[in-house]
Amino acid sequence: MKNVLVYVQHKNGVTPKVTFEMATQARKLADQLGGKAHALVVGAGSTRLADALKGYPLDAIHVNDDNDVDTYLLDPVVDYLEAAAKAVGPALILVANTLTGKDVAGRLVGRLHAGVCADATDFKLEGGKIVAVMPKFGGAAVTNCELLAADYGIVTVRPNAFAAQAGGAGATVQAIDKPSGKSYGVLVEKDIEEGSGELALEEAPVVVAGGRGLGGPEPFDTLLKPLAHALGGAVGASRAAADAGWVPYSLQIGQTGKTVSPNLYIAVGISGAIQHKVGMRSSGTIVAINKDGQSPIAEFSDLMVVGDAFAIVPELTKLVQAAKS
Amino acid sequence: MKIVVTVKLVPDPNADKRIDDGTKRLVRTGAETVLNPYDEYALEAALQIKEKVGGDTTVTVFSMAPESLKETLRKALAMGADDAVLLSDAGLEGSDVWASAYAISHALKKVGFDLLIVGGLSDDGSTGATPGALAEYLQAPLVTNARKAEVVDGKLKIERETDTGYQDVTAPLPCVMTTALTFGEPRYASLKGIMGAKKKTIAPLTVAELGLSEKVGQAGSKTQLLAFAPPPARGKGQVIEAADAVAGAQAIFAFLKERKLV
Ligand SMILES: Cc1cc2nc3c(=O)[nH]c(=O)nc-3n(C[C@H](O)[C@H](O)[C@H](O)COP(=O)(O)OP(=O)(O)OC[C@H]3O[C@@H](n4cnc5c(N)ncnc54)[C@H](O)[C@@H]3O)c2cc1C
Ligand SMILES: Nc1ncnc2c1ncn2[C@@H]1O[C@H](COP(=O)(O)O)[C@@H](O)[C@H]1O
Repeated sequence: MKNVLVYVQHKNGVTPKVTFEMATQARKLADQLGGKAHALVVGAGSTRLADALKGYPLDAIHVNDDNDVDTYLLDPVVDYLEAAAKAVGPALILVANTLTGKDVAGRLVGRLHAGVCADATDFKLEGGKIVAVMPKFGGAAVTNCELLAADYGIVTVRPNAFAAQAGGAGATVQAIDKPSGKSYGVLVEKDIEEGSGELALEEAPVVVAGGRGLGGPEPFDTLLKPLAHALGGAVGASRAAADAGWVPYSLQIGQTGKTVSPNLYIAVGISGAIQHKVGMRSSGTIVAINKDGQSPIAEFSDLMVVGDAFAIVPELTKLVQAAKS
Repeated sequence: MKIVVTVKLVPDPNADKRIDDGTKRLVRTGAETVLNPYDEYALEAALQIKEKVGGDTTVTVFSMAPESLKETLRKALAMGADDAVLLSDAGLEGSDVWASAYAISHALKKVGFDLLIVGGLSDDGSTGATPGALAEYLQAPLVTNARKAEVVDGKLKIERETDTGYQDVTAPLPCVMTTALTFGEPRYASLKGIMGAKKKTIAPLTVAELGLSEKVGQAGSKTQLLAFAPPPARGKGQVIEAADAVAGAQAIFAFLKERKLV
């Protein structure tokens, strides 16, 4: 393993911030390994996105605007990645730890007969081998996962764990040929985006999240959104709130939802179950508003105010708005 | 139609987990082994599809686990699976994701399936990479995070969750599918189910029967877990009982100001 290859997940050229975090990290790792940093961008809108990626310290960006990537599920992406990996030579492949990223990583494990370390929040190089540092067991432990000598190794990278820093001499953008003789199994008939227009949850510096304690969908709009906007952040939710249909699943935080690590996390009417905690425990500061002082969330909040969210949140929003103007 | 569901046996997720200061190993106080919660959702999906498709549809549960944990699989049979296959072998110990998926895929080729339903995530491993690796070795298409699935004209119509919303997709059979938790809450085993499970078969399988050409177990693994360490401490902070809403809001505001967050 000498080179680094970043898989760029995107839709019509719109990519999450973790892409730029991985591009920055790829440079550091490639320098340590004495190789080159590559990225693969395929699907509609790729050329446009590659232009933005050029500002990051990569050596080469491999591009194809192939629509099949969007029409068929996963298969085309894996074929392109295999082709790119073979062209680049022995490499560490970085994939974002998102729903799609997990699928891509898993397929590559089989396709390239490679090991995988999941959910890395840091990297070390030990005796020439790559070691990914990852939180495990709901944050009860930190594990080091070593990629043993092999041609290819895969690491899924936690969003928000690494800094994104533009710079470098400018990568060369080059076309990658469509792998030939492939057939694709799964047709995408409909692709719906939910909760667009708002700041992406994983990228928000502040997350105001609501749970079952809010009792219905309205308070997410009337109570949480104004506070989130005043703080320059986004609204999130517990699974209880998503399951009840109060918010789309794309807002769910936790083991089966998004992992976020904003500077500030405000949990409103959320009890702090282990599966929720896993998705937010690495936030900078955690504040809880809960009417039950015995809720588990008290154990890992920097500040818990015991009281009624419906009364406290509007007052807090007023204070924040007043401070801004 | 033959549906197979993979089930991992994991330490009870609700058991207290901590790192022992001396041994630096993970300690699970009083943890018993249970079905990986995500796989119960996968099984629920299989049972729902079986009920809809009817006919001679069967649901087989597959697990790779030590033989000593065999009885834990009875719960899946009590929930409604028809039979089970358990791949156990000392040679599998210490297998990483690649080695596990490699061995499991070969076992599943022997078992055979029209639809393979895999849980989305294992509570103890939590890589979520196994389904993709299985699909590759089985050379079957993969559809993940299904919240609805229906067999129409010999094809699977699936509604699946994505990072940004949802999709409708169509997949041919045989196919590998994973379930989102929204597919439906796993059913409870009925008394009749529990009694019936005692008579259902759990067929043993060993590595020697798989004809593997690569090493598995720790020796064949492509990753190695090094030390566990406790994470940086995140202690309990202050808990303030607010006299009224204004006082509560002011306490939070002052705290955020002190930390330069407003
Ligand atoms: C396999 C599996 C995966 C899971 N994955 C996730 C996941 O990804 N994310 C997730 O969040 N959960 C997940 N869960 C569910 C998790 O176990 C909890 O059930 C869930 O997080 C609870 O949500 P909650 O805190 O909103 O609700 P509750 O636990 O019901 O808590 C509601 C809280 O609101 C407080 N409250 C009520 N009224 C008010 C008020 N007026 N003002 C202030 N506070 C009030 C209560 O005191 C209570 O603490 C998962 C569970 C399983 C089994
Ligand atoms: N040893 C195993 N036996 C059966 N199924 C497994 C095993 N390991 C993983 N799986 C399946 O793969 C899914 C994802 O696991 P993981 O990749 O470890 O997060 C689980 O939900 C299981 O369905």
